[in-house]
Amino acid sequence: MKDSVAQPRKHRSVARRKLFNNSFSVICLLVSSLAIVVLATLLVAIFSTGGNWLSFEMLAGSHRENNPEESGIGQAILGSLVICSICGLVALPIGVGTAIFLEEFKPKGRLLRIFHGLVQLNINNLAGVPSIVYGILGLTAFVYMFGAFSPIRVNDQPDHEIGATYFYQTKTLGGQYVRFPAVPLIQPVIKIKQGRNASKINGDKFKLNVVSASTEKSKYANQVNETVLLGTEAKLSSRNGNQVYEAKTIGGDSFDFPAEATYSQFAKIIEPITVSNSDGDTFSLNVLSKSEPIPTDPTILAQSVFADSPDPNKRSSASIFRENSLFHLHLPFSKSVLSAALTLALVILPIVIIASQEAIRGVPQTLREAAFGMGATRWQVVRSAVLPSATPGIMTGAILAMSRAIGEAAPLLAVMGGVLGTTNHLSSLMDKTPVLPVTIFKWAGDENQGFEHLAAAAIIVLLAFLLLMNSLAIFIRYRYEKKLS
Amino acid sequence: MSNLASSTRMNQSRSILSNTIPQASPATLIPPVENESIAIDITGFNAFYGSFQALHDLNLKIPNQKVTAFIGPSGCGKSTLLKWCNRMNDIVPIARATGSLTVGGQNILTRSTDVVDLRRQVGMVFQKANPFPKSIFDNVAYGVRLHYKTSRSELSDLVEWSLKKAALWDEVKDRLKRSALGLSGGQQQRLCIARAIATGPEILLMDEPCSALDPASTARIEDLIFELREQFTIVIVTHNMQQAARCSDRTAFFFDGKIVEEGATEDVFTRPRKQQTEDYVTGKFG
Repeated sequence: MKDSVAQPRKHRSVARRKLFNNSFSVICLLVSSLAIVVLATLLVAIFSTGGNWLSFEMLAGSHRENNPEESGIGQAILGSLVICSICGLVALPIGVGTAIFLEEFKPKGRLLRIFHGLVQLNINNLAGVPSIVYGILGLTAFVYMFGAFSPIRVNDQPDHEIGATYFYQTKTLGGQYVRFPAVPLIQPVIKIKQGRNASKINGDKFKLNVVSASTEKSKYANQVNETVLLGTEAKLSSRNGNQVYEAKTIGGDSFDFPAEATYSQFAKIIEPITVSNSDGDTFSLNVLSKSEPIPTDPTILAQSVFADSPDPNKRSSASIFRENSLFHLHLPFSKSVLSAALTLALVILPIVIIASQEAIRGVPQTLREAAFGMGATRWQVVRSAVLPSATPGIMTGAILAMSRAIGEAAPLLAVMGGVLGTTNHLSSLMDKTPVLPVTIFKWAGDENQGFEHLAAAAIIVLLAFLLLMNSLAIFIRYRYEKKLS
Repeated sequence: MSNLASSTRMNQSRSILSNTIPQASPATLIPPVENESIAIDITGFNAFYGSFQALHDLNLKIPNQKVTAFIGPSGCGKSTLLKWCNRMNDIVPIARATGSLTVGGQNILTRSTDVVDLRRQVGMVFQKANPFPKSIFDNVAYGVRLHYKTSRSELSDLVEWSLKKAALWDEVKDRLKRSALGLSGGQQQRLCIARAIATGPEILLMDEPCSALDPASTARIEDLIFELREQFTIVIVTHNMQQAARCSDRTAFFFDGKIVEEGATEDVFTRPRKQQTEDYVTGKFG
């Protein structure tokens, strides 16, 4: 039976179809080589600018103001490593755990299913949020802690602190530095420097507002009865059996707030006290009155000070110092390595979760069925059948997340500030430290010509790190896939 | 004969485990069925996937220590029933069932059933062999380690026994520590059978175990089923009617979610009572 419908007469040109096919391949090739050209240009520019400046001294040294030849990125590299390690320690367990929960423990009840869907949706959205937003989040959540505690000011003790010792230090007549421990006391008079909760005479509670002398009166005109000038003195007194400090607002109302023991800035030495010197010896300080002659024996001289006297040349007072131990922590965290690490952990958390989810999804369902069929509980299925197979994917995702963390500048700028060089090396989690991407940013923006080259050299180091981490990820994936097949 | 077989089973499969303590609670959910003649009792059983009803009002008794075959065209519900026998459908959220499905005298469809212990006593072999990406030894020992505390020597004895029973020992005895994924398809399926019998189950469920294998492996597994019948109750789902005719003692013919006919294999194949059965076994459809 032959077809009654014949094939159409007009042919499409075969030559034209082939031409389209070939030109499409050529276009794809050109577009991909564009990406490579951009990368090559970047590499050439970087190496030409900074290649000569790469040296061992540069790698080990630290930033020297106005002196590019002597500056280095040693502190920055150490800071980056410390922050990324803490960030990884926090983000990886939480991320992998969340991925396991989202993939393996899918709930059946309606309410829980909605919760599950919301979590999944939020994580997918968070992966695309610009990192500066995480910087602001970190600022609010870790640095200021939502305002729950009073902010840390320079040279002032934080409200809640562990791991720091305070001491008074002075120099004896013989030139030796001695110190003795500081004890917080309730001072008779203090200067008000920051806002706090206070109460009026009639018992009303309000939030005290502190303004500097240069602030325009119009700004606080409607709150004169709740505002004081910076530095207003408050006197110690008692009310209802509690010790309070009393003062007046600008508008004339009296108020008071609870008295807390603080360290005073200076301590007068009046009588012999036990002190210790830098070698660790303890002895009793020899206090001379203003009329006594100065001893001649150098040993005794080294242990003597003048008592407090009106003569400014003969006055002896010790200033307060603080020494931080390794475990120094205070609340709020304020701008510190800990805040930076936690903020960075938030940045990479969605990436870790999504990568781990993909890895867990890649485990074939037959494996889970086999484990369930053998009588394993849900967690046993995860631990013995799913996780071993998903591990290479999870590790790859983790390493890629870490390599992203090492290069983030925006959130660290917000949370730790543009720290370039610190005089002391990193001693506790509450210190600030320079990090590689922020250092590059600061140097590249510096007017001084020399730092531009140094910035390029630092970029080379950063790229080398990234290359290393990505190679490690590929290598691990390769080894594990060989092992599993 | 069944008493003799059951005591043999006590000696062979249980002696190795006689000194071990199951990690589950001391009173096992399902007592051994040696003295019962019915292994699985299905009454008024309906199974649903969401709103679709896969099985309608089934009544079936699966006898102890015999091989029962489920035959029927694709999509008639045989695999569904098989999966419900050890509650494998729990991982499908929309699956539910009503009625009574009793294993060893206890209804396993209740919420209070200890599913983990149920699966220790009712093992399953799947259509496509799914060994874990671990060594051959670890594959067979997987179930034992889950449910029992054993010493190392007890464990290796048990692995050896399981592999011998599954007719795989001679081929793998010198490479127990190598990955199970390096075995051929037929060997992997025999490994899965060894893995399933290592925990000493009463009942073995097999979901089309030979459909993905070549004829030579299929023949070996059929021989295996024939040998295993002395110690285990076996329920096998198969598309291959000749396989059902060769291996099984009893056959149930499923069509469209109902059991059309059920009885001794010889009767079902040579003297079927329903026309539909005769059409199916003679190959007129399916």
